Amino acid sequence: MAGSALKRLMAEYKQLTLNPPEGIIAGPIDEENFFQWEALITGPEDTCFEGGVFPAQLTFPHDYPLSPPKMKFNCEMFHPNIYPDGRVCISILHAPGDDPMGYESSAERWSPVQSVEKILLSVVSMLAEPNDESAANVDAAKVWREDRDGFNKLAEKLVRKSLGLPQ
Amino acid sequence: MRLLFVTFGSIMLTSIVIGNAYHQKKQFYPSVVYLTKSNPSMAVLYVQALVFVVLAGKLLRKFFFGQLRAAEMEHLIERSWYAVTETCLAFTVFRDDFSPRFVAMFTLLLFLKCFHWLAEDRVDYMERSPIISWVFHIRVVSLLSLLGALDMYFVHHAYHSTLTKGASVQLVFGFEYAILLTVVINIFVKYVLHTIDLQSENPWDNKAVYLLYTDLMMGMTKVVLYMLFVVIMIKVHTFPLFVIRPMYLTIRAFKKALNDVIMSRRAIRNMNTLYPDATPEELQASDNVCIICREEMVSSCKKLPCNHIFHISCLRSWFQRQQTCPTCRMDILRSPATVAAAAAAAAAPGPQRAPAEPAAAQQQAVPQQLPQMFMGGFPMWPPMNHLQPAGAAGAAAGPPPGQQPEVRATEAEMPAGTSAPTTTSAGGATGASPSVPPPPGGGFIPGAPSMFGFTPNMFMPFGMMPPPPAPPSFAGLTDEELRRMEGQERQNVEARIQCLRNVQTLLDAAVLQLQQYTSVVGATSTASHITISQAPTFTSSMTNTTSNGGATTGTTQSSGVHLATGANTSAVHSSHEVSGDSEVSGKLPESVGATAAAAKVTANDVASDSSYVGEASASASAPSGGGEDKNEEVRRRRLQHFEAAPAAGGETDS
Repeated sequence: MAGSALKRLMAEYKQLTLNPPEGIIAGPIDEENFFQWEALITGPEDTCFEGGVFPAQLTFPHDYPLSPPKMKFNCEMFHPNIYPDGRVCISILHAPGDDPMGYESSAERWSPVQSVEKILLSVVSMLAEPNDESAANVDAAKVWREDRDGFNKLAEKLVRKSLGLPQ
Repeated sequence: MRLLFVTFGSIMLTSIVIGNAYHQKKQFYPSVVYLTKSNPSMAVLYVQALVFVVLAGKLLRKFFFGQLRAAEMEHLIERSWYAVTETCLAFTVFRDDFSPRFVAMFTLLLFLKCFHWLAEDRVDYMERSPIISWVFHIRVVSLLSLLGALDMYFVHHAYHSTLTKGASVQLVFGFEYAILLTVVINIFVKYVLHTIDLQSENPWDNKAVYLLYTDLMMGMTKVVLYMLFVVIMIKVHTFPLFVIRPMYLTIRAFKKALNDVIMSRRAIRNMNTLYPDATPEELQASDNVCIICREEMVSSCKKLPCNHIFHISCLRSWFQRQQTCPTCRMDILRSPATVAAAAAAAAAPGPQRAPAEPAAAQQQAVPQQLPQMFMGGFPMWPPMNHLQPAGAAGAAAGPPPGQQPEVRATEAEMPAGTSAPTTTSAGGATGASPSVPPPPGGGFIPGAPSMFGFTPNMFMPFGMMPPPPAPPSFAGLTDEELRRMEGQERQNVEARIQCLRNVQTLLDAAVLQLQQYTSVVGATSTASHITISQAPTFTSSMTNTTSNGGATTGTTQSSGVHLATGANTSAVHSSHEVSGDSEVSGKLPESVGATAAAAKVTANDVASDSSYVGEASASASAPSGGGEDKNEEVRRRRLQHFEAAPAAGGETDS
């Protein structure tokens, strides 16, 4: 019998395929390896990321769901809560105990109750409402805070890029 | 591609160098001598050797691992850099022994280390991979035995060379290989565990436990080895700078493993002993999917005190990381009282009481537990008769308006023939009648009147008090109440005393709860403890409060006991004082404000929240924690206080 992590990931995959949440597609890159997923996230409506389709990669630990997966955008992103290299920094992805930004209460951290779907939904809402209090990308946070129009323009550029449209 | 180029280049260079030497010297020995004398040729040959090592590594890797996964490769590179840095540091320590042979030894060590890491990653991967082929098993087993044999050989070799030739750089190798040997053993144990797990169809519950203990044991071995190494190195050479990082990591890992083991053991013990198994009905009622593994729960499920249900095995592995409820993050370790309460509630369903207001229940609880305290050997303060007025009046601190009716009700339950009509009648009564009602069955209360013979004297003054108004709210002191407590007039002082007494009552409750808690926790053997005999009632009332939202668990317990003990003693105990008061009352003259604040706090605690047990008992535990001796002391101080208090009031009514 394979590990419980694998079983749970299979169950989540099934669930996500049967009832996909709006604007989100996710699944293992390769059926052989259920611990690497790819997800496509559409930018939430009425935000500067509207219309964009952003690919991201999820890497699950072998003790999932006891430990959180890691998420990384595979495309260029400019967002206060996404590191310049694409790693997503939201509290739901941090195991209680490690707190890179030093502000999160353990109530909003990872727990086995969370799931891929919840993570992706949180990421969508993070795209809609950046948290500039604890910026992973300080430049992005600065632009977001001080020059909202500039941020919107940059975001629009990213959206066009993600769709393969001319700039 | 680049590697190919380097390999090819290196081979070309080597053949040119060798060809040149042979061409010049024409004979074997002279050419060898020529080569070794010429630095550039030696450099080329070293590079060539390195290339061969890398090629051999690749070959072996192909043989034992096949294609490396991206994660493994990353890991390998990351760790290699650290290892290379540490090796360079080690060179600085042993610069005297620096020689090609020495470098070769270190290269070999690095080379073997890489294979250890890869083996570790590969065995970890077993857990995630859906299919494990027999090739995998053959590879892992052969690799592990090879590595183990090599490690042992080198340890042996180092040991001998140290014995025969004295301490040298072989010491370092000996320890490094010993550490690697522990790594091999660790990997092997993990491999065996994973293999066993793979053989069976069902998840193997205990695997995580074994893994944890393996980690612990290996961590300890490593820590000991490192310590030993550092000590020996300091004696023989200097401080070995290059082991600081691995040593730190090892110690940290060991500490974490130890902590995990302890915490998870505690949580799992709690789970096994205190939480009920979920019944089929409960499983039916909820949505029946374990939120941890997302599978149906059919059997072997536990219900946490917060009513969340999970598989036992899932909970167990989760508790090894964190001791909280996965859903609501309730701390499993910090709330044993709550846990016990919930357990009891689940064990004996069927509330006997109609859901009463928790507040009222709690008020009763405080006093009614008194007899239990006696039996429990808790040193008692003589009971006061007139607490009820006090309680009902409970200016700010305490009892809700509902209290008095409740108390009366309980008195109605008293067996006929209990004498002394209690002075419930709002304190207007002189309080002269020492109302210590005999309990239905208890043997000790009949002695009570004599025991507390001095009671009337002591408390007469309070009996004279005008009936204070019921507190308008439970939330805190109103301005008016505060004002009433200021000043030197008799009523002011009385108001203060009132307030203090409410504080006492609350502290009382806290102490009782502490007691309860200890008795519940240590309930296994204590036949002498009353709590056990009272368990049935206790549990039943438990249920009732749980139905009230489960908020006031702490108080619920006491109300349960109250029911059990027989209601009649309300008068006795309500006036009973807790140790905590001595602290407060000492300040009486000066700092009414402060006490009022204290009262407020305690009142809020009692009134509102479920953390009552924790907080209130924390506040009480400071004064009362000391046990009997402490309590004696407290009693003395209280006596003093009560003698002082009437004096301050201007009248002494004895």
